[in-house]
Amino acid sequence: MIWVTWRQHRGQAIACLALLAALTVYAVIEGTSMRSAFSSDGVTASCLARTQGTGCETGIVAFMNEFGSEVNIAFWSACLTVPGLIGVLVGGSLIARELEYGTWRLAWSQTIPRARWLAVKLALVTGGLIVLGAAMTAVITWYRAPMDQLTGRLEHNIFDFEGLVPTAYILCAFGFAVLAGLLIRRSIPAMIAAFIPWLAIRLVIEFVFRAHFVTPLTTAMAAACHTTGCGYGIGVVPQSTGQIGDLVLGLKRGDLVSYLAPGQFWPLQFIEAGIFVGLAAITLGATIWLLHSRAA
Amino acid sequence: MADPRAGGTLPALRTERLGRRYGKVWGLRDCTLEVPAGAVAALVGPNGAGKTTLMEMIIGLLEPSEGSVSVFGQASPVAGPATLAQVGYVAQDHPLYRDFTVADMFHLGRAMNPRWDQKLAQARTDGLGIPLKRKLKGLSGGQQAQVSLTMALAKRAPLVVLDEPVSSLDPVARLEFMGDVMASVADGDLTVLISSHVVAELERYSDWLIVLAGGRVQLAGPSDELLAGHRLLTIPRAIPDAELPGTAVHRTDGDRDSTVLVRAGADDVAERSGPGWRAGPVSFEQLVMGYLRRRSAPMTHGDPAPAGRRSRLNTKAVPR
Repeated sequence: MIWVTWRQHRGQAIACLALLAALTVYAVIEGTSMRSAFSSDGVTASCLARTQGTGCETGIVAFMNEFGSEVNIAFWSACLTVPGLIGVLVGGSLIARELEYGTWRLAWSQTIPRARWLAVKLALVTGGLIVLGAAMTAVITWYRAPMDQLTGRLEHNIFDFEGLVPTAYILCAFGFAVLAGLLIRRSIPAMIAAFIPWLAIRLVIEFVFRAHFVTPLTTAMAAACHTTGCGYGIGVVPQSTGQIGDLVLGLKRGDLVSYLAPGQFWPLQFIEAGIFVGLAAITLGATIWLLHSRAA
Repeated sequence: MADPRAGGTLPALRTERLGRRYGKVWGLRDCTLEVPAGAVAALVGPNGAGKTTLMEMIIGLLEPSEGSVSVFGQASPVAGPATLAQVGYVAQDHPLYRDFTVADMFHLGRAMNPRWDQKLAQARTDGLGIPLKRKLKGLSGGQQAQVSLTMALAKRAPLVVLDEPVSSLDPVARLEFMGDVMASVADGDLTVLISSHVVAELERYSDWLIVLAGGRVQLAGPSDELLAGHRLLTIPRAIPDAELPGTAVHRTDGDRDSTVLVRAGADDVAERSGPGWRAGPVSFEQLVMGYLRRRSAPMTHGDPAPAGRRSRLNTKAVPR
C-alpha cells in the first residue's frame, strides 16, 4: 500500500517539492540581502536588546521601509492562502478522483478492505504534508529571522507563518477536502467546498479568538512615550511597552498597556495548531468511518 | 485455511431475497438464486435490469437494502478481507488507472492481494503481446479489458465476476476475450458470473442462466434443464393460454397463428396438442427473449416499472 500511495501521489509530491524549492530560492536571496541590510542600516546588537536602545530608530525605519513595504506585506498576505490551497489540492482529489474515473470499483474490490486502503493512504499523505509544512515553516522562519528580532512573532502575517500553525492549516484544509471529496464526489467542487470554510474558520480564529487564547499582560507605558510619544504595530519603535517583540493589544485607562509578550508565542501556537489539527482529525476520522460503515 | 469449496457442496454464490433500493426505486428486489461452484453463469438482462446492482452487492461494493449474499458459504462479502479475497471483479468499462503502466497495475495488484499470482499475470500479458511498460491509456480497449481480466484472475479468487466485460469491444476482441475466460475456467477451479445485454454472446460459453429484468429474477437455473423445460408452440390464434400445456411465458399473436413460449416438457406438449399445433425445442435466445418480453408486456406482472428507473440505474450510483 505504501507503493500504491506513492505511485498515485508522486506527481503531487514532486509539485510540492518544486514549490518548496522555489520558496527556498526566494528565501535565500531575500534573506541574504536582509541580513546584509541589517548591518548596513546600522541595526546593531545593542538596538536589539530587549530594552529598546536609543539612536536606532533611523536604522530600523530604513530597514522596515525596505523589507516591510506594502508590496512585501501584500505578497505575504496572499501567501496566507497557500497552506489552504496545498491542503485542498491534495485532499480534494484523494477520494473524488476515484469516484470520477470509476476506479473506486477497482480499488475497493481488491483484498484490502476499503477502510484500510483509505487509512493507509491518509496516514502516508498526512505524513508527507507534515514534512512539507515543517520544511516550509523552517525556510520562512530562517528568512524572517532578522526582521522577527524587530517585529516579534506575534503579529498577524508573522505568527501565521511560523511555529506549528502553518502545518496545522495545511492538515485542516486537507481533512476538509478529503471529506468533501467523499460527499461531493467531484474533485474541483470538493476543493472549493473545503477551501471556503477553511478560510472562514482561519480568519475568524485569527481575528476574533486568537487574542483571547491566553491572558494578556499589563504594564505601565514606557517612560519615553510620555515625552516623545509612541505607537504600536509592526516595526514601530519605540513600542508602548518599551520592548521590541511585544504585541501591544491596546491602551487601558491611565497609562497602562495591554500586550502579549514573546514568551506567549508557543502557548498560542500550541492552542491554535491544536484546534486545526483537531479539525483535521475529526474530518479524516469521519471520512474513514463513512467509507467503512456505508459498506458494512 | 481449508478450501471453502471442499466437498463441492457449498454453492459459489447464494443470494437470499436480496434487494437494493435507490431512494424510492428498487434497483433489484427479492433476488434469490444460487450458482454452483464450477459453473459459468450468464447474467442476462436489458440495461437497467439490475445486473450491476447485483454484482456490486456480491463483491461488497454496495450494501444490500434487504436480504443477504453469501460466497462459498461465507456471509456478506462486504465484511472484510476474508470474503473480498473470494471474488475477483472486472467492473463495467474495466476501470484502470490510466496513467499507470501495466507493470504498475500488477504492482498494485500484488500490494493489495496476498494471493496475487504475478507469474500468471505476466504470462497472460506476454501471451497477449501487451507490453508491461506501456501506460494503460496507450492500450486499445481490448487490451485494457484483458489487463482488467488479468487483474481479476491473478487475484486467485475462486469466484470471478465480470460486468459487461465485452460490451465496449469489437467482435474479434470479444471472441478473444471470451476464449480467454473459458481457457481460465478450464485451467483452474473457477466459478464465473458474467453479465451481458447481448444474449447470443453468452450462449456458447455458459452452462447456467440467470435472466434479470426490471430488478427481478425472471428465470434462473442450469441452461440445459431450462432449455429442455421449455417449448415453442405455434397454435391457431383462437386458442387461449389456459388450454395450453404447462405455463405460457410469452405469446406473440400473428394474423392466424400465435407463437407461444411455454414452460413445459416435451412429453407434456405431446400429450396435450390439438389440430394445427406445431411444437419445437426452444433456442437459448428465444428462451431469454421470451422471458425478457414477458416482463415488458402489460398485465403479466404486478410491478410496473416507474418512469425514470432506467436512467437512474444507468448512472451507476456510488454507494452511499
